[in-house]
Amino acid sequence: MHNDETIWACLGENGFCSFKVRWKEPKQDFCRNPYNVNGLCNKMSCPLANSQYATIIEEEGINYLYMKTVERAHSPKNLWERVKLSRNFLQALEQISKHLEFWPDRVINRCKQRLTKMRQMLIRMRKLSLKGGTKLVPIKKKTEKREATRELKAESAAKVDLAIERELLERLKQGTYGDIYNFPKKNFDSVMEKEDEEQELQDEDESDMEFVEDLGEDDEEWEDIDNKVEEVEVEGDLGMNDLEEVSLPARKKRRGKVEVEYEHEIDTR
Amino acid sequence: MATARPVVSIYNFENPSEKTGTMPMPVVLQSPLRPDLVREVHRDMAKNKRQAYAVKPKAGYDTAAESWCTGRAVARIPRAPGGGTHRAGQAAFGNQARGGGMFNPTTIWRRWHRRVNVTKKRHAVACALAASALPPLVMARGHKINQVAELPLVVSDGIQSLTKTKQAKEALKKLGCGEELQKVIDSKSIRAGQGKARNRRYVKRLGPLVIYNEDNGITRAMRNIPGVECAHVDRLNLLRLAPGGSFGRFVIFTEGAFKKLSDIYGTLKSGAPKKKGYTLPRAAMANADLARIINSTEVQSVLRPKMERYTHGIKRNALKSKELMEELNPGSTERRAVHLKSSQKGTPEYDEVQKKKKARIEESKKYNKEHKKGDETFYKTLMKAFEAKAAADAAKKAAEKADDEEDEE
Repeated sequence: MHNDETIWACLGENGFCSFKVRWKEPKQDFCRNPYNVNGLCNKMSCPLANSQYATIIEEEGINYLYMKTVERAHSPKNLWERVKLSRNFLQALEQISKHLEFWPDRVINRCKQRLTKMRQMLIRMRKLSLKGGTKLVPIKKKTEKREATRELKAESAAKVDLAIERELLERLKQGTYGDIYNFPKKNFDSVMEKEDEEQELQDEDESDMEFVEDLGEDDEEWEDIDNKVEEVEVEGDLGMNDLEEVSLPARKKRRGKVEVEYEHEIDTR
Repeated sequence: MATARPVVSIYNFENPSEKTGTMPMPVVLQSPLRPDLVREVHRDMAKNKRQAYAVKPKAGYDTAAESWCTGRAVARIPRAPGGGTHRAGQAAFGNQARGGGMFNPTTIWRRWHRRVNVTKKRHAVACALAASALPPLVMARGHKINQVAELPLVVSDGIQSLTKTKQAKEALKKLGCGEELQKVIDSKSIRAGQGKARNRRYVKRLGPLVIYNEDNGITRAMRNIPGVECAHVDRLNLLRLAPGGSFGRFVIFTEGAFKKLSDIYGTLKSGAPKKKGYTLPRAAMANADLARIINSTEVQSVLRPKMERYTHGIKRNALKSKELMEELNPGSTERRAVHLKSSQKGTPEYDEVQKKKKARIEESKKYNKEHKKGDETFYKTLMKAFEAKAAADAAKKAAEKADDEEDEE
């Protein structure tokens, strides 16, 4: 019948209990029953195999002393009698001693130890909640790798340096810096020349197009000249041709305020 | 602590907070707990619903394969005959061959079923019922019965007439089974393994087993509630009372069914009226509370007093430890003290020793003067002996010489 010994025989070492958790290394049995005093699975601590049992259970920060006796063993609903323990530690200990007055000493001691443990846990919980925990977010290796590669690619595609250079030169030409900076003249000139070359090359192309359209002459005749023009352009001379005579407003615009004089060589090859 | 609870309350199924009556606990529910028996019987009973499986009898051997024997530079395994196809000349038969049969083919004449002794089966059922009446065992099995008013849970007969599932569910919830039913619903998951593709897709936990006497709709009301099973008292199945071989199923009895248990199983004295020749199992020990027995007055009064165990400390050496020597040999300390003192000049012990010594020497001298004279002195005695020996030696030599001369001649 309801005999603690027989019940422990059914549950215990060689039996089955759904609350039992067995560890092999180190060899230890635990009990997942919420009413267990110390969380271990042995005959003394098993809340199922002891018809007289007492624990401390914490609910929302308040500790309660739970007791069960044989008399109510048949009725799971009314099994546990609970006593709210005082928030004062010493008073709570006294309450335990009072309610468990005629119980075995070991039971009383275990309850008191558990009460201490619960209280310390609550203290820790309060401290932690004040700190405000850091949320841990997992690092996804694959995503991280992918994003890093893309970042590099985007960076190289953007050609930031060039854009910056262009922007700065623009500003310089427009005169936003005024006379703040002193560049060594040589470097300054070379850069400006480079700039102009680029512009001229572009301009040349345009001028070719315009010329053909304007004069409306046969393409054949002008093909050579076109070629020549191209040759000249390739050689990198400062644009010298008949074509120079054609003044292009665009060019002037681009030059802006900086006046650079060209030497005009009239050599038709 | 042993408790015998002879009386069980019956709860009104419509309003479970009130009790409609009480009933004495049937003796079945007080059967001894035998988890080993239940496990064994369950194991064998569970085998009885199996369906045979086997490979085809001709599997792997449906070829006219023959071994090519030796001399052909191939292994001697039987090979498929003929030609014109890949298959020709390939190995056949045997578990090692591709397309061959398996080792030890599974057969349909495997012994699928097990017979269990009827009494054993009945004992197991009785034991399983008893386990269902104990809250710790039911909890240990995994049922959530914290809100149940009493175990064994007996409900008024009205519940047997329920026809609607909704009503049945409500009734169960009111009885405190809400947590249990929720546990079942939450536990539904797809089966691990091949079963999911074999029409056994879902698994879930088991809920309460409702045992009734008269089916006025209860089975149909309860059958669609996940986890709930129904059983008639007359036909109790161990496979449902102890699923998986572990007893302690959460059982709900109807009043009629509970009453009928006593009619079916009877008592230890009367035997079981409805089961011919069967009596409920008897416990090996009437009172299994060992601690209580040992500490009872009946036993303690007859015991001899407890033996004092002699606990050996560290073994001491008497030759080193003066205390121990004194214990073993009383007076040795004193003697030693005297002995020490006797070599110190001036002490009475010393004088005593010297006195004795003197007396001894005097005595000896006196004796010698009296007895050791003339031929009795030490030297004379010594020489006498020597001469005697010398003479004996000489005689021996002479004899030897004489022998030698004789031999020579």
